[in-house]
Amino acid sequence: MWQYSEILMDHFMNPRNVGKLDAPDGHSEVGSPQCGDAMYLDIDIDDQGNIADIAFKTFGCAGAIASASALTEMSRGLPVEEALKIRNSQIAEYLGGMPPEKFHCSVMGHQALKAAVEDFRTKCDEISTILNEIGITPVLVRPGRVYLKSGDDAEQVTKILEEKIERKISVEVK
Amino acid sequence: MNTVYLDNAATTRIAPEVLEAMLPFFRDQFGNPSSFHSFGSSHMKAIERARGQVARLLGAKAEEIYFTSGGTESDNQALRGAVKINSARRGIVTSAVEHPAVIETAKALEEDGCTLGIAEVNRNGELDLESLKTLVNQQTAIVSIMAANNETGVIMPLAKAAEITHEAGALFHTDAVQMVGKSPIDVHSLKIDILSLSAHKLHGPKGVGAIYIRKGIDLPPLLTGGHQEKGIRSGTYNAPGIVGLGKAAELSLTHLKGTVATERKLRESFEKRILEGCPGSFVVAADADRRLPGTVTIIFKGIESEAVLTLLDMQGIYASSGSACSTGSKNPSHVLYAMGVDYTQANSALRFSLSRYTTEEEIDRTVELLATVVERLRRISPYIE
Repeated sequence: MWQYSEILMDHFMNPRNVGKLDAPDGHSEVGSPQCGDAMYLDIDIDDQGNIADIAFKTFGCAGAIASASALTEMSRGLPVEEALKIRNSQIAEYLGGMPPEKFHCSVMGHQALKAAVEDFRTKCDEISTILNEIGITPVLVRPGRVYLKSGDDAEQVTKILEEKIERKISVEVK
Repeated sequence: MNTVYLDNAATTRIAPEVLEAMLPFFRDQFGNPSSFHSFGSSHMKAIERARGQVARLLGAKAEEIYFTSGGTESDNQALRGAVKINSARRGIVTSAVEHPAVIETAKALEEDGCTLGIAEVNRNGELDLESLKTLVNQQTAIVSIMAANNETGVIMPLAKAAEITHEAGALFHTDAVQMVGKSPIDVHSLKIDILSLSAHKLHGPKGVGAIYIRKGIDLPPLLTGGHQEKGIRSGTYNAPGIVGLGKAAELSLTHLKGTVATERKLRESFEKRILEGCPGSFVVAADADRRLPGTVTIIFKGIESEAVLTLLDMQGIYASSGSACSTGSKNPSHVLYAMGVDYTQANSALRFSLSRYTTEEEIDRTVELLATVVERLRRISPYIE
């Protein structure tokens, strides 16, 4: 058996943030068919651009499960850009060390986070493009909610968005 | 904590009777059996007794058994020797599911100019005889097919493979490391020319094994030196090891006549209970014609086997897996791959191998813990809703 630290074993035995989010702002499915590992990751982004909630599911060894758990703990509350900067060595450090052979296990978490952020940005861009077409400049765009300037017609924007995007989006005037 | 050892395909505990038989040769009876003086040469009797014990287990003549350091050496001698016998026959044919001791040796010989053919297996992990036929020809020196597979426990059709081999005038070798002592094997009825075996797989010591070479075959030695074993295998006799192997062979013969039935029943009930306790799991090569009494590989859908092994290990239950992660290799099991099992499933495969010492209580504990562990890991698996 690999020599795992106590912290790593704790994250393997009791992984944090396991599961799925309801209608997440970003979702990703990554994996390495060769290694057989796979990971699903959901993120929610708050109004300030921080990771407000995060949840994962993974198929992998103890090292992969613990790394994913650690990454979600480390990312929670961080601005997206900062979370993306978390390196494998930091995850290993957070877990109290990791056998060098297992370093690659933590790569998947990073890929999953990057893909989930991309999904989040794609969804936001999609909304922004539609709003731009109808001449609306929003205050804030998130995949599930849009804030408009006072004077904009929330009802009509909702209708247009719902027609073009098959997802529930709440539209408010701030 | 009581431990449960279910990795007998990797190695076995030494039988107490075997250890007792060996001890005098570690203590006072340390003379060299090849010496002139009686202090050493008297031990030759013990060596010859061991030779007889091994021969009886295989249905061979004592003079056809040569002691080696184990399965890997015997496999090397078979392959490396066979291609030296006749310069017109430099071909090696083996199967896709062999142990690395055979595959890597065959590949090394291919680099040295030998030809190499690798026969396929079917979805049940059994040797594809049609595939073998297309590879064996008048240039073939040796065909090497394992007697039973170390991961799946599938027993290969040796008699038919030997027949195909002999029709082309080649030698038939079998790596019987997994088979010997666990399931009956008779070199004469199966028409085996050369056979490899290892003591530590049948409750004997590590570092000793044997090669059976049918009388009349002039197989060149791998090791040259002091002409022990008629020059077929030089090197000072490992008297304690050889005596231990002999005793282990004798005990195995008794086991095969009786307790093996209990071992098989225990494995069958183990399989059945796991499949019931962990829905979505399946036995690899379940449909094979014959499998070893104590070996089974099970695929647990949606979870990675090293994670399972780690959780079992923490509770003192020891099994094994061929996953890429646990072995530190890039790819999962070549055996499962050859059988058409995909990478994800191969990474979900666990091997449990019982022995005649495995108890019902041990199986009970393992089945119970497995159900919990599998359930726990499936909760975090992306493959399970």
